[in-house]
Amino acid sequence: MSGPLLRFAVQLSQYAVLLYFLAVNSVYTMLIVLALRDIVKHAYLSTSRTARRQLAGEFYYKPVSVIVPAHNEAAVIAQSVRALLNLHYPEFEVIVVNDGSEDGTLAVLREEFGLKSSIKPVRLQVQHEEIQAVYRSTEYPDLIVVDKLNGGKADAINAGVNVSSYPIFCSIDADSLLEPDALLKSSKLFLEDDSLIATGGIIRILNGCRVEGGAVTEIALPSTTLEAMQVLEYTRSFLSGRTGWNALNSLLIISGAFGVFRKDVVIAVGGYRRTVGEDMDLVMRLHRHCHEKGIPYRILFVPDPVCWTQAPFTLRMLLRQRNRWHRGMIDALLFNRAMVLNPKYGETSLAGVSYFVFVELFGPLIELFGYLAIPALYFLGMLSARSFVLLLMAVLWGISINIGAVFLDIYNFRRYKRNSDILRLCLLGALEFFGYRQLMLLERLKATLTFRKRDWGQQDRRTMGPSK
Amino acid sequence: MPDLLTQSPDFYKYVFYGVLFLAAFNVAEVFFLFYNKRKVELSEKRRTELKRLASTAIITATAPEELLPKPSDNEEFSAYSEAIASVLDSFEGEIAAKAVRLVDQLGIAAYYRRLARHRTWYKRASAIDILSSFRLPSNREFLRSALHLETVNEVKYRVIYGLSFLARGKGDILEIVAALSALPYLTAKYTEDIFYNAVRALKDRDAAGDFGAFMREVMSDGFVPVLIKRDMLTACYDASCGEGRAILHDYYLNNPEEPEILIAALKALARIGDFAFIPAALKHPDWRVRMTALNNSDACCADLRPEIRPMLRDPNYHVRMAAAMALRRSGDKGTAVLKEETASPDRFAAETAAYALTQEGR
Repeated sequence: MSGPLLRFAVQLSQYAVLLYFLAVNSVYTMLIVLALRDIVKHAYLSTSRTARRQLAGEFYYKPVSVIVPAHNEAAVIAQSVRALLNLHYPEFEVIVVNDGSEDGTLAVLREEFGLKSSIKPVRLQVQHEEIQAVYRSTEYPDLIVVDKLNGGKADAINAGVNVSSYPIFCSIDADSLLEPDALLKSSKLFLEDDSLIATGGIIRILNGCRVEGGAVTEIALPSTTLEAMQVLEYTRSFLSGRTGWNALNSLLIISGAFGVFRKDVVIAVGGYRRTVGEDMDLVMRLHRHCHEKGIPYRILFVPDPVCWTQAPFTLRMLLRQRNRWHRGMIDALLFNRAMVLNPKYGETSLAGVSYFVFVELFGPLIELFGYLAIPALYFLGMLSARSFVLLLMAVLWGISINIGAVFLDIYNFRRYKRNSDILRLCLLGALEFFGYRQLMLLERLKATLTFRKRDWGQQDRRTMGPSK
Repeated sequence: MPDLLTQSPDFYKYVFYGVLFLAAFNVAEVFFLFYNKRKVELSEKRRTELKRLASTAIITATAPEELLPKPSDNEEFSAYSEAIASVLDSFEGEIAAKAVRLVDQLGIAAYYRRLARHRTWYKRASAIDILSSFRLPSNREFLRSALHLETVNEVKYRVIYGLSFLARGKGDILEIVAALSALPYLTAKYTEDIFYNAVRALKDRDAAGDFGAFMREVMSDGFVPVLIKRDMLTACYDASCGEGRAILHDYYLNNPEEPEILIAALKALARIGDFAFIPAALKHPDWRVRMTALNNSDACCADLRPEIRPMLRDPNYHVRMAAAMALRRSGDKGTAVLKEETASPDRFAAETAAYALTQEGR
């Protein structure tokens, strides 16, 4: 009796893994198709004519507060702030929130921008750790520096929200660079659509690019495979992933590196929550709030506005980052568990949240099970050759999805101009399945086991100088 | 389901075809990328050259149509239309007239009119956008009929935008307002743009008075949403539509419960130096109206200090700040009031006053 049962269990396990891969690949393929449609539509509707009208009609805009949370960012903060002060936008303020740095971040800001104490009363609209001082630059009147006790990134942005004066705020990482027109492109969406409450642009990887005067002047793929692999991942995740989720009104993440929000709605949900995945958590709570209150709303990803960010350049840093992302995702899903398979939240729950629960959360477990089961079954002589062949097919399909994402990017945006870079990205699309993906999988599993940890870990930074 | 796949006698045949398909698809994608990259690079170069050629011909030649080859594909039409739109944005008079003539002579308008009937809505929207940028009176009837036939709101918004450049009189604006009122409200920027364009078009025809007549006509029209009326007032003062003062007074007096209209009217009146309603507006229950009044108070009425001083204790943060800044801007007496308030037992008033004293009186 145990023989047929065992045989059934073995067959079931192989099929479960196979079905998982088929389901994941089907979702990604669907997202690529939706993304392609969305990007082509976007390209048609944002003609150069429209862009010129926007630039010419600068008297129509909503002023924006750019909030830069900074914790131990002395190496990059001056360049980053200088780049922000050069943005093409008629009216904006830059608020750097020094979140209890111990590396002299505040001293660098003081020295570079001539800070003077300001006593402007601050409204306590969302909670955060105590503000010790607020400074205003004597050289750049639109630069405000907030010095506060350490409370984490979410806490720092909350402080920035309270200090900010404008109805829209943009949060950006201190190690990131916005393209000069990124703010214009993202904030104009708030003028065109009153129901828009949050939007995010694409994050591209700065490693390998040439930076001069706080601007990216030459775009190239990083030389190391580890960094270049992240370019592929970002391309897939942003262009096919997030653009695709747009179409289903199920965008659950606006990257913490660059997101633009309507301040009143963020205040209505109590601001950012102190967690390592504050970006996903906020967007999920915005969805919940609007669904529960019956507020018509849109949360959009747009592929045009570009934010360049430094990607981890060592394996240790990369694993730490992925561990943090995964813990953040689990925490956001747990906190917003009311949204799981709940028709009250419409397609956001049934499509977006379900994907994160069944693919991103449980996926690594099923995948690991597959990696362990296949050799075990082989040695026990119980591996179905045909199922194994189908699994290999699923890998080939996965490679096609990666190449599809590269296609989507290069065809529409043509950022990487060198043929060698394009070819390398396509090759990395295949290479990802042999080693890199498994490493990331293990780290995600590790994060699943330790998801209650709240630490961010030490951030290593390289200066964004003129050299490549 | 997996059984169906794995137990089929043709399993390996299917696998072979599957692998072949995916491999061919991937290779084709990569090759297409390189081919497309080269094609786009060449076409961008050609497009830039065509644009430059078209712009130069329009500006310098007396008969540019004789110098320019007739466009034959989408790229050429697009390059010409961009050049023409750019010339129309920058020039008036003879050069603009030449550019407009070229739109018909080279068949550009006809091409985009055809495209404006495309079955894909965003292609129609893009074509309407381009047609609108030419501001051709001959497109008016086409756009009007497109508005009636169109089913997609996103395209309708663009058609209305195009029509706003071509308004000839009160009747046209009423038609635009009727179309706008039947659609979900888009944004203030969009609606203001529409009325701004309409006022400019009427001014060009020496018919600016028609806008005033139109504003009077819709003032009590309940079908026109309040937000549209508000944007109309704002556009009127952005475009300096002239004889607006009496109308603005009427709008202010007839809409005491509509803060949006009160704010737009207050701002528009302040711009033309009319501050008649400021003292009353300082006491309005809506904080936005109070703040608008404060922001314009220093320009008119230094004697309003006694009314403004208690507003340093207003329940609203923005009003307190605006009150402090209004006192700061009102000269030495206002500064003296602020200095006194820094010792106020009310923490909010004291902090706001202290902050205002650190600011320049702007």
